[in-house]
Formats: sequence, C-alpha cells, structure tokens
Amino acid sequence: MTANDMSSIELRGVSQWYGNVVAVNDVTMTIGPGVTGLLGPNGAGKSTLLHLMAGFLAPSRGELTVGGAPAWRRPDVYSMLGLVTEGESAYPFLTGAEFVRAAARLHRLPDPAAATRRAIGLVDMVGPMNRRISTYSKGMRQRIRVAAALVHDPEVLLLDEPFNGMDPRQRLQMMDLLRRLGHSGRTIVFSSHILEEVAEVAGTIQVMVAGRLAASGDFRAIRRLMTSRPHVFVVRSGDDRRLASALIGRPAVRGVELTADGLQVQAADYGAFSLDIAGLARAEGIRLRELLPADESLESVFAYLVAS
Amino acid sequence: MAADATGVIHDLGYQPYTGPRFGRAAVVRTLTGYSLRSAFGLGRGARAKIVPVGVFVLMCLPAVINAFLVARGGTRAFPYDTYSYLVRVVGMTIFLAAQAPELVSRDLRHRVLPLYFARPLRPADYPLAKLVALITAGLIVLDVPLLLLYVSTIVGVHGPGAVWHETVLLLPGLAYGLLWSVVLATIALALASFSGRRAIAAGAVAGFFFLTWVLSEVLGTVATGPGHAVTSSTAAHVAGLVSPFTLLDGVRLALGGTQPGQVPDPGAGWGSGYALLLVVLVAASVAALVTRYRKVGAA
Amino acid sequence: MFNPTIASITLRAALGRRRALLYAIPPLILIGVSAILRLTSPADPAWPARILGTFGFSVVLPLTALIIGTSVLGAEVDDGSVVHLLATPVPRRVIVATKFAVATAVTIVFAAVPELLAGLVAGQGRLALGLLAGALVAAVIYNALFVCLSTATSRALVAGLAYVVIWEGVLANLVGGARILSISHYGLAVATAVAPGQALKAGVGLTAAGVLGAVVTAGTLAAAVRRLGSFTLRGDTA
Repeated sequence: MTANDMSSIELRGVSQWYGNVVAVNDVTMTIGPGVTGLLGPNGAGKSTLLHLMAGFLAPSRGELTVGGAPAWRRPDVYSMLGLVTEGESAYPFLTGAEFVRAAARLHRLPDPAAATRRAIGLVDMVGPMNRRISTYSKGMRQRIRVAAALVHDPEVLLLDEPFNGMDPRQRLQMMDLLRRLGHSGRTIVFSSHILEEVAEVAGTIQVMVAGRLAASGDFRAIRRLMTSRPHVFVVRSGDDRRLASALIGRPAVRGVELTADGLQVQAADYGAFSLDIAGLARAEGIRLRELLPADESLESVFAYLVAS
Repeated sequence: MAADATGVIHDLGYQPYTGPRFGRAAVVRTLTGYSLRSAFGLGRGARAKIVPVGVFVLMCLPAVINAFLVARGGTRAFPYDTYSYLVRVVGMTIFLAAQAPELVSRDLRHRVLPLYFARPLRPADYPLAKLVALITAGLIVLDVPLLLLYVSTIVGVHGPGAVWHETVLLLPGLAYGLLWSVVLATIALALASFSGRRAIAAGAVAGFFFLTWVLSEVLGTVATGPGHAVTSSTAAHVAGLVSPFTLLDGVRLALGGTQPGQVPDPGAGWGSGYALLLVVLVAASVAALVTRYRKVGAA
Repeated sequence: MFNPTIASITLRAALGRRRALLYAIPPLILIGVSAILRLTSPADPAWPARILGTFGFSVVLPLTALIIGTSVLGAEVDDGSVVHLLATPVPRRVIVATKFAVATAVTIVFAAVPELLAGLVAGQGRLALGLLAGALVAAVIYNALFVCLSTATSRALVAGLAYVVIWEGVLANLVGGARILSISHYGLAVATAVAPGQALKAGVGLTAAGVLGAVVTAGTLAAAVRRLGSFTLRGDTA
C-alpha cells in the first residue's frame, strides 16, 4: 500500500462499544483505491464502521488510520475525505447550489463557483439547483449531499446507504459515478444491505455480520472459499441426459437435475469438478455448449454467510 | 415446463372482515386514553416519567405537610380554593411546558399525522381528543392533591357536622381546579402545536406562562406602589389581565373566594371582564388548534 | 476566528424561521409596556427599574438569549446537519466562535437594544444606558453558556430554562450566595456601574462580575470547542 498511502484506510483490531452493545468487534482490514462495498444486514455495524473511518467516532480499542494518521479529532483529514451520512439532513432554507457552494467555501477552495458547478454536474442536479432543498424529493436531497461531499474532490469518499430513496435511473447514475471515481484511483467506500447494489458497483466487498468482519475480498473468490456448500453450475450440452448419467457417477458431483434450460449440477468441490467435466464430456463425445456458475451472485454468498 | 405466460392466484381461504367495527367514538376514546397516559409518561421509559411524577409529588407536598400538622392537633393549613398559589403556578408551568409537547410535537416531528387520519377520525377529533387528555391530566395534578388535603383533614376532625363543613369547602375548590386545568391546558396545547421540535414548543409554553406571570406581578407592584399591600385600583386590575394565572385568581375572588391573591378583588365589573377574557383565550386556543390540524400532513 | 459562510447560514436560520417570533414578541411587549406606563404614570415612582430590571433584564433578556443561544448550534446537532460543518477542515474553535458571535449579535438586537429603547421610552436616559451596557455583557455570557449547553446535552433548552427560572429566578433572590453564580447579576453589576443609584440591586461588585463573567465565558466556550471536537455520530445502535 505504499504507493497509495495517501488514500488508504487501515484498521487493526478495531472494536467499538457503547454501554453493553458491541457495534464493531475486532475488525482488521485495509481499504485501498477502487470501490469497496460494506455489506451486511441492518445493525451489523456498517454505519458505525463508516463513522469510525470518517473521524466521527473513536475506536474503543485498536488503531484506525486514514492516509497514515488517525481520523479522530483531526479536522485536516476532511480536505481529502468526504462523507455522506445516512438520512436527509441538509439546510432546507438554502438552495441546492447555495448548499454546495457553502461546502466549497468551507473547504477553502480557490474557485468555489467552478467547483460547485462541477460537483452539481456530476450528480446531475443542474436543473433543480436553484430551488430550495425543502422542495427536493428524498433522492434529490441525497444527490445534493453527495455533491457537497464531492465538491473538494476528495481522495476518499465514504457513503452510508447512498442509494436510499433513489429511483432506478438515479441509482444507475450514482453507481456509474461511483465506478468512475473508483477507476480514477480514489478510495470509495459505501455501505448497503441490498446485495444487487453492492454486486454491481463494488470491486471488493467487506461483509459484516453482527459487528464482525465475516468475509472480505472479491466476492467470487469468497464464494470459492466456501467449500462446505455445494457449488451449483448450469451446463448445456449436446446430450444433457447422457451427460447427467455420466456426471452422477463422479465423486465431485453431489447431485444433478434435468431442467428445460439444461443441467443443474451440484458440485462438492469446485476445482475437481471443473477438471472433471471437461474430460468427461470428451470421453463421452458430448459437446459442451455452456458452463456457468449459477449462484455466484452475491446473494448466495450473503445468504450463506448470514445463515451460518 | 413450457414458458407459459399465465398466472394463477390461489384461494387460501382468506376472508374479509365483515363483522361490526368500532366507530369514530371508540377511536376518539382510545386516542384520548393513550394521550392521557402519555401525559404522565406511562408506556414510555422511566425518563419520560420524571417531570410529570416530580411535579405531581411537588403538588402533593402541601397536602403532606397538612397531614403532619393535623396529626399534631392543628387545623387545616391550606385553603381548598387557592391551595398553594406559588406551588400551583410553578408546578403547572413546568408540567405543561414538559408534557404538552409530548402530546403534539412528537407526532408533528415524525410526521405520523396521515397515519392517524387514515382512520375514521375527523380532523377536529385529533386536537380535541388531545385537549381532553391534557385537561384531564392537569385536573389530576391539581385536584388529587386537594383530595389528599381533604382526607388528611377529615381524619383529624370530629363529628359529621365538621366533615360536612369540609366537604362544602372542598367542592368549589375542585371546580376551581377544573377551571385552572381547562384554561391552562388549552393555551399550552395551542402553543405547543406550532412546533414539531419539543424544545422549541417547551420554550414557547414555559416562556409564555413565565413571562406573563412575572409581567403581571411587576405591573401589580408598580400599580400599588412599593411595600404596600395589594389594593384595588384600575391599574392593578389591568395588571391582572396580563397573565392567565392572575385572571384565574381574579375570577376566584370575584366569585367569592376569601383568600387574598396576587391581584386585588376585581368585583363584579372587572370580574366579568376577567371571565370574558378567559373565555376568549380558551376559544381562541381551541380555534387555533382545530385550524392547525385541518390540513393533514402539515409539518 | 470567524467564518463568514457559517455566519451567514446561521443568521439565515435564526431569522428566517418561525421560531424568530419567539424572540421578536417579548421585546415588543417590553417596549409597549414601557410606553403605556409612561403615559399612565403609575403610583410607584421606581417603576422603570422594575419594568426594565425585573421584567426586562431578568426575564426577557435571559429567555431570549436562551432560545437564540441553544438553537444556533443545538438545532443542527439535533437533526444531524452539523456534520456538514464538521466534515470540513474548519477548526472547531472557529465554528464555535462564529456561532457564538452570531447568537450574541442577534440577542443584542432582540433583547439589549429593546432594553435601551424601553428605557428611553420610559424617560430614563441614564438607566437605559446602564441597562444597555449590562445587557450587552449579559448577552455575551448567556450565549456562551447556552452554546456550551447545546454541545453538552440534547435537552439544552430545558436545562437552560431550569437555570434561568429556578437558579436565577428563585434561588438568587432567596439565597445571597447564589448571586455570585448568576449571570444576570453580573450584568446588573455593570449596569449599576454605568447608572449608579438606580436601585438595581446587583448582588455582585463590578470587579467580581468582570472576572467571573470572563471566566464563565472563556470556560464555557472552551468546553464547547472541546466537545465539538469530539463530536460523535453513533450508527445503527444508538
């Protein structure tokens, strides 16, 4: 992480508790450039973790650094960090443009007007920008708050449930924006309990369950690590039924189902199965048309992790 | 398993409820009961009970003191009509400033009014139900200590004649307590309903009662000159118009109350003026409440 | 130590909302009552001191300062929008100082200046000037206390109300020692210095008032800066 120290977030053994409730339990992770998704059910500690990273909460134990130094009680960190909290708080009596321009001025930007225009353009709020925030819908309010968090072009952007209240078109635009920002080398961290959102945008995911970090990394890789569950593949071939009867004899296969769309194969061992099927198909003289993992979406990862 | 684009809705045996339903009266009754419980913090955490229970205990203190004194062979130490004026003023100000926002500001803040009005509840029913609840709560805070005073005195007197005597004195006191509650609770609820933020609503209610009370006191002193007892004069009567507490006190004196109060006896003329102003205040507050809730979803 | 952007937002919030009525009406009452009394010449010759002192100085001024002082920062802390100020490199002491300055300025306009006007209307020029001076000092100290309270608790207005009504209203009149910790008496001490012999009954001497007032102001503002620097956003749990 040396080349990107300025925008990486490091947590080492971080725990946070309040009274009897342990919100974050011994979390160690490093977040680098790109888009990272914080996934987990409600109450898993995602908001707490984001507030810890944003310097609005002190860890009860452990170390947390942003760009090499702790974020707690260090207002300077905000010149390279932007935070979009959950909820809709904003100043209802200001117009959208005034709100973002105020943020630009507070960040001591040399050209607040230009930065404001750019930020508002990024979130596609140019039309309503001269209306009062009290007249905005929930999704519009969310977007103007993202604009205010982006106005100073931060290297690190933290967003807490950013897609809340957005309609599908706004959500796609926001996802697109986050992907672009991630590709440009910034560190983007956002939280969600909706699997599709995280799967579509994030390159890395951190799964939190009950305050603990349950899994991190690329979600396909995580899935592969869960060898205790059978992998499900969809296979289409020239002769499904014959392939099915051949597969059922293999030890790496736990079950085969004939469906109208092909074979659904439950494989106990991903690696062994992948090797097996190629050889098997050739030996039987069956042409393989399609071999797809059926449940590699985040949903199954999440469901398995949570269920365990 | 051809891709058939038809769908079926299965009959799971669910049936709509076609039996009798509670009507508007029951809804209003329930809302009133719930609001009355909220006014004392019942059904919420312990912190919500601190102020109402604390004020109630404060209001009972004179009755407790009376019990001690009567037990030592004394006579009743506090009158039934004024009870203890200062304790009542301070107690009701704090109670209403803390609890009126509990009844109305919370619903405004969290914008749950559309949920209420999606029931067989007319727009005017909501504030009136809340008002009845707050008046009842104020009545409990004002009159239950009177009853305690009565009971603690009764045990010390002898003979049915003395008991009857106490009872005759008690009843107008209870009615006067009811008047206090009606006037003060109505004004407090109307003030509180203007803000969804509890702190602002509490500030408005406490500020209004406290400000007008001190002003009335100062004007009263100014009217009669320094160091003199309260004497009758036009200026002193005008001073009494400023605060609901003094208006109530004046009406009491005009109706024959014997305890000297904060204001001089207004007599018949000024007394009816005081009473009229009380009626106007209550009517205006009720009108403000009903108007405020006419448009649902007003935040 | 002063940020114009924060100041303009705070000023707009303070003046543009319905709650501005709460602090606009009492000074009008004060001036109106003074005018009426001037016209009707009441029996008590010391009436200006009572109206301007007991009512204006000890009730209108603290209540106005309370509502203004607790809402300049308290409203934003309450609904979470203070994050927009805190997630910037602006030093916390600048945020507190700016909010404090705006609150004091608004309090002066809505409570101290009306004291002067009411005093002039009552025909007491010297007393009016004295009370203005006292009100200026008291406005400063009150707002420092209330801004600090709003960083310390979410029930800042109730706590401040308890201080004004119970501590200053009741105790300070009954218990002589309590006057040493009563902001209204600091103000009255300054007022008496400017307008002596007006029966204002300040319970504290001028030097004591000056020192204590400065200590209270500096102490509460420093505490507010410290607390704002440790501002905590709790997540799903609390």
